[in-house]
Amino acid sequence: MKKRIIVGLFLAVSLMMTACGGASDSKTTTAAETKAEAEATTAAGKEASTEKQEVSDVVKDAKAEQFSGAKNEEKKSMALFMSHMTNEFVKTLSSSVQKEAEELGYTGDSFKIYDGKNDVATQVSQIEQAVTLGVDGIIIEPVSTDGIVKAVKDAEKAGVKVVILNQRISDQNAADTFVGADNESTGAALMKKVMEDLDGKGNIVELLGPMGSDGQVGRSKGFDSVLAGYPDVKVIASDSADWDTAKALTLTENWLTSSDIQAVVAQNDGMAVGAAQAVKEAGLTDKIKVYGVDATSDGLNAIVNGGMTGTVSQGTEDQGKISADLCSNLIYGQSVPKEVIATNVVYTKENVNEILKK
Amino acid sequence: MNRKKINFKNYGIFVVFIVLVIILMILSPNAFAKPRNLINVVKQASINGVLACGMMFVIIAGGIDLSAGSVVALSGVVAAYLAQMQGIPIILPILGALGTGALIGLINGFGAAYAELPPFIITLATMSIVRGAALILSGGSPVFGLQEQFEGIAGISIANVIPILVLYFLLIAVFSGFILNKTVFGRHVYAIGGNSITAKVSGINVKSMLLRVYIICGVFSGIAGLLIASRTMQGSPTVGVGYEMDAIAAVVIGGVSMSGGSGKWYGTIIGALLLALISNGLDILGVSSNFQQIIKGIIIAVAVYLDLRGKKTSA
Amino acid sequence: MSHLLEMRNISKDYPGVKVLDDISFSAEGGEVLALMGENGAGKSTLMKILMGIAQADRGEIFLEGNKEQFQSPKAAMDKGIVMIHQELNVLLDMEVSENIFLGREIKKKGIPARVDMDEQRKQAQAFLDSVGIKIDAKDLMRNLSVAQMQLIEIVKAISVHAKVIIMDEPTSAITEAEATILFEQIEKLKKAGVLIIYISHKMDEIFKISDKIAVLRDGHLIRVDETKNFTEEDLIRAMVGRELQDVYPKKTNHPGKVLFEVENLASGKYVKDVSFQIREGEVVGFAGLVGSGRSETMEALFGVSPREKGKLRINGAEIEIHNPKDAIRHKIAFATEDRKRSGLNLIGSIKENVTMVSLAEKISKHGIIQDKKEGEVTEEYIKKLRIKTPNGDEFVGNLSGGNQQKVVLAKWLLGEPEILIFDEPTRGIDVGAKHEIYELINVLSEQKKAIIVISSEMPELMGICDRLYVMSEGYITGELNKDEFNQEAIMRLASARKGGMTQ
Repeated sequence: MKKRIIVGLFLAVSLMMTACGGASDSKTTTAAETKAEAEATTAAGKEASTEKQEVSDVVKDAKAEQFSGAKNEEKKSMALFMSHMTNEFVKTLSSSVQKEAEELGYTGDSFKIYDGKNDVATQVSQIEQAVTLGVDGIIIEPVSTDGIVKAVKDAEKAGVKVVILNQRISDQNAADTFVGADNESTGAALMKKVMEDLDGKGNIVELLGPMGSDGQVGRSKGFDSVLAGYPDVKVIASDSADWDTAKALTLTENWLTSSDIQAVVAQNDGMAVGAAQAVKEAGLTDKIKVYGVDATSDGLNAIVNGGMTGTVSQGTEDQGKISADLCSNLIYGQSVPKEVIATNVVYTKENVNEILKK
Repeated sequence: MNRKKINFKNYGIFVVFIVLVIILMILSPNAFAKPRNLINVVKQASINGVLACGMMFVIIAGGIDLSAGSVVALSGVVAAYLAQMQGIPIILPILGALGTGALIGLINGFGAAYAELPPFIITLATMSIVRGAALILSGGSPVFGLQEQFEGIAGISIANVIPILVLYFLLIAVFSGFILNKTVFGRHVYAIGGNSITAKVSGINVKSMLLRVYIICGVFSGIAGLLIASRTMQGSPTVGVGYEMDAIAAVVIGGVSMSGGSGKWYGTIIGALLLALISNGLDILGVSSNFQQIIKGIIIAVAVYLDLRGKKTSA
Repeated sequence: MSHLLEMRNISKDYPGVKVLDDISFSAEGGEVLALMGENGAGKSTLMKILMGIAQADRGEIFLEGNKEQFQSPKAAMDKGIVMIHQELNVLLDMEVSENIFLGREIKKKGIPARVDMDEQRKQAQAFLDSVGIKIDAKDLMRNLSVAQMQLIEIVKAISVHAKVIIMDEPTSAITEAEATILFEQIEKLKKAGVLIIYISHKMDEIFKISDKIAVLRDGHLIRVDETKNFTEEDLIRAMVGRELQDVYPKKTNHPGKVLFEVENLASGKYVKDVSFQIREGEVVGFAGLVGSGRSETMEALFGVSPREKGKLRINGAEIEIHNPKDAIRHKIAFATEDRKRSGLNLIGSIKENVTMVSLAEKISKHGIIQDKKEGEVTEEYIKKLRIKTPNGDEFVGNLSGGNQQKVVLAKWLLGEPEILIFDEPTRGIDVGAKHEIYELINVLSEQKKAIIVISSEMPELMGICDRLYVMSEGYITGELNKDEFNQEAIMRLASARKGGMTQ
């Protein structure tokens, strides 16, 4: 009880100080006071943003051009937490966040990237560390849907703005906003293209991501929703190759020996590249179409070479840019939509040059 | 008498292998039993088989190499990096991969033999270092856009029937067998694994032997990395995670003792084939990869158990 | 009245071999029963059956009149039967008290998983004191000598109130002085009514401490009788089934010119300053206590351990030896003290061991092994040294101690060395094999080889050597010619300090 009164008093004093912030001599403020000041500001900011969140809604088929971020005039800081840094997709994503953040003025020490090494515990402790160091806004590409919810809540409690990037967490209300793709719609967009190419009949196999991962579950759901309308298409096999090129190669090889297949639909380009190699070695490139997701450069390259037929871009670079914009807006107390879903674009030989030019 | 004993020693693993082949042939006569698929099994055993051959040298000499999987990645990235440059002779990526393997082997061997670090520790360290190097060199994403000739290293088949990978595997297996069984060097590998003090007193330079053994393992891992890079036409920094464990599994299934000094080369080959057989057969039967892991674990335990029992009753 | 221990009609077959055939005997508390026999006679199998490590095919065991069948060593131990193995099973990095209470730790009251170290130390110390051993229960095992470790094993046996203690070659790795302490303990145990089954190859010990002797040969019990009814000749005859003319063969060698010289050798803390020389065709013995630096001297000159100073000369020319390979190149051979640790690859075959040293030079071309030649050479040495084995592919680990030692010798002889160092060549092997090794040494000396023998058994050194050096604390304290050999002189030199060079 006593504690609360003290905190209340402290806050009141800080608020007064903030009120006359411009006039007061900032050089004389102590470290403790600065912190209190920050807390007070963010507390006020939080109230404002929760109010605004009610009015904002979900933006679908979003493109980067639709958004702009607040300039970092007060030397605020931002941090990006990546699930890992070991493939094309995450690299593109993180560099697009970084690029936009730098453009907004988050340079040098005020922008940091953490590599979660695909380990929930690592990511959680990285988030905790950044919060302790007094970061203003964070963008998280989560390792796990559940594992980091508590860390997100703790960050919010400490007054830090949180943007979730690319993969949802189980309690989305814990964060301020989500920027990403909708895996289900991505899966559906890809499968629709496959059905068009096959004229709605034939045998297909599916290469899935790690079972139970957000990407796998969502994309599979999208696949199934489209397939339900095509009774003449048979899914002969469907198994996980863990996003891994070499594994996908072996798995496809084994499937090719046992079945007559018209298309291999992979849930990412890495696996699709492996499948394309197996198809090529079996001398079936002309007979079997191979599809992937993410439009990574090796995937696009395979489309150019004819190894792959198509891939879907989830607007990776757009996602990155938008997340940095929204994070900065949140830091500076502006309103943001609750959810931004980047647009899916299907790339085939016909339009692959558009993206390669970028 | 002598011959009978040798058969008996590897009784368990051969029985498991043959029984498994028969079961799969009965369950899937139209897909598994096709000659094309049987060749496929050998092909899929190839990469792990090459790694297992290198691992076999190290384990027989009483060591272990945990860095093998990381070396696969780094040497693949190095090879891809070189193969990316158009107009460069194809021998350079090959030498690059093998040289990378040899260099890591040299570091492992130096650490284990001369700095006298436990092999588990030094190779655990290089496992991490080498993986990091692969990620840095490749910038974190696969190196692709390689010159077309590069695919000729491992991605082609002889007369469109026998994949060239199978040939590499058999060549390296037979070469390893020859070295271990027929040469002074091989005999010394067994000797230092059996009792390194005795070996030293008997005039064998244990340190330089160990160094060479780790270099062999490194070079074989480099070859595996080259082959994967050529097959997938890219150098991926994330490939090969856990490959060392599959290689160790193949070696152990094949009857090589983890404490060193014993084991036969053909056991290792059967071990690698058995592992490939399991995943090929189960893929074809449509068993999900999650169940496959359980079945694989059980078969490893059973195979080694039968092998040990066979050895006991024959002693 | 029932006997303390009775074994009745014990038989055991291994495929193709009758290891034990209808063995029956009994023994009482308070006696020392010596179990004698050549290696392979069935002693260890019999003891394994008693300890529950192996099971008899037929026959029964009675302990204090009750029929027992032990399924495990633990079961035997619970009934008071304990074995002290030749290779001590001690945990070097644990305290003495922890070793004594290993497997039956005293738990803290109320905290079941916690070991009560204080109580254990207290009780362990009490046991140590009661036996009169001056060792602190808190000492690390590693800091004890082999003999002390052996005493700890005995204390452990006492602490479980053992009724039967089996001792397998307890004096093979300790000095005579230490053995004396051991014998005192055995006397005490006898007084306390414990039955001691004593396995040893050392005749003098057997006659000194045993009350009864049981002799096994080829799985049969040849004779059980009171020790006083045996003469040494009787015993040997019973064991080997033939007469042994002389334990030591008649020497027929003729030493020639000086072949090998060592000057001011120093290495580590055990070798301070050692100079000696050997003639061709001469057998030179090195006597001394354990720790006097004899083995370490040989290790240093052979390049196993680094040499700090000193010169080596062969035929007057100085040679450089930095590692065993150099030594082998100079035709030196070194059959080390502990064949299991540094003489053999136990999981290798006889063939692999025999050719280990000479593989590169003699059995291969361009690095490739010549299989046929290797097989022939191995067979040749199996015959020459009479190694008992079905064939050269047998694992060395399956052979008896004597045959293992012969494999070590074969390994070195194959290299046709000129200088041979034998460190404890007859340790832990039976009389028959010992005799064969003495003969071999004699034959080698006839062939003008220079031979160094290290042994802790003085009669052995005096029996086979032409000349003796005695070492103490890293120095050579004396040199004795054949006509000066006597045990007292050797003992005096062996305990002499530096400078106390009495002739």
